[in-house]
Amino acid sequence: MLERAGVPAVSICTDAFVIPARAMADVLGHPGFEFVTIPHPIASLAPAEIETAVQRVVADVVRILTEA
Amino acid sequence: MTAAPELSVVDIDEIRRVMEDYFERGWTDGLPVMPVTESILAEFLGQTAREPDEVLLAMPHLNRACTVRLAAINAAMAGCRPEYFPVVLAAWSALKDENYVTRGIWQSTTGTAPMLLVNGPVREQIGLNSKGNVFGSGFRANATIGRAIRLTALNAFGLRPGELDQATQGNPAKYTACIAENEEDSPWPSFHVEHGFNADDSTVTALTMRSVVHIEARHTIVPEQLAADLAGTIARTGALIHETISACIALGPEHAHLLARAGWSKDDLRRFVFEHAVNTREALVAAGKDAVSGKTRWRLSSGHADAVPDSNPDSDVVRVLGSEQAVQIVVAGAHNAGVSSVIETFGPRGGAPAIAAVESLSAR
Repeated sequence: MLERAGVPAVSICTDAFVIPARAMADVLGHPGFEFVTIPHPIASLAPAEIETAVQRVVADVVRILTEA
Repeated sequence: MTAAPELSVVDIDEIRRVMEDYFERGWTDGLPVMPVTESILAEFLGQTAREPDEVLLAMPHLNRACTVRLAAINAAMAGCRPEYFPVVLAAWSALKDENYVTRGIWQSTTGTAPMLLVNGPVREQIGLNSKGNVFGSGFRANATIGRAIRLTALNAFGLRPGELDQATQGNPAKYTACIAENEEDSPWPSFHVEHGFNADDSTVTALTMRSVVHIEARHTIVPEQLAADLAGTIARTGALIHETISACIALGPEHAHLLARAGWSKDDLRRFVFEHAVNTREALVAAGKDAVSGKTRWRLSSGHADAVPDSNPDSDVVRVLGSEQAVQIVVAGAHNAGVSSVIETFGPRGGAPAIAAVESLSAR
């Protein structure tokens, strides 16, 4: 939605939602849409654990933003 | 010699092959479905003046829509008789009005399902059960009308588990959930009349719901005690995703009459439940739900980084209902024992319920 509005964006979802995320990309006409995954769950993580999960995917986020 | 009775002759292997084919195509909810032919479909489409290509409900975020034809195919597959189809159509209208389905609620991790409530003469006409085992099995119209909606969700919208339906657990109503109000055993005006319809109108109400909670209350003839039991069930902290909730009380006839004999109207019960469906601040603290998120307004602990006070931070007693209108009341079940239920709805937390009229067959 943001990209349609001209704003570069990266979707991040947890690995529990990989299948529905791909299915949503398909029905919206973007098969192969690239997104970043982090381990599930996040709601029960402490702030420091979330920080760690984010640090691990920063490079992927930058790559998708700059290459797409 | 007596002539042998005329029995229709079928090739059972062929029927079995067709049934298995439907399973293999992924067109079922796990139970067998009725095969549908063009001629069967025509019987269903003949029950409505609407065009087959008319869109009943669209999900723009999926680029998908349910048309009259798709609704009819899935109603036939669900085992509906053609004369049930106007009720199915009204159910789609009510679900659209309720405006939760169109926003993706059937895909949610929460795991809601549609509960349908039917009122009016159509109940008798097509054999909808409103009495004993009203939430249970054994009645074709109830079983197949509810299933028609769910099969359409699976087949027309593609909301299959693990694909576009991310329900964490779901709930049993994801197979089927359609009840009728026991208007005959109710001491009060029926649900659709209360909401402005005529008694001889037939209606379907959409109740997007999370669960049906059972209340066993055979112990009292004091209306305040019974109503407190109902209110206590509505107030449970586990139901509090948001600051407030909504609910539909399905009163067994015995409970309804107990209240009516004491002079209580539906509005009296509604008012009492609104005032008594509460948690103490202490209970909310214990469950970590004593504040709300400043971003989502979901309940969380006051110790959370996103926490802001809820609407009544200085009150030691916190209501779970935002208004009297957030609780609906119907009468359902047999005149058997002191049993009622709370349907934990995910619907409007105050506004009018989503009710659609069943288009009269004779008016075609």
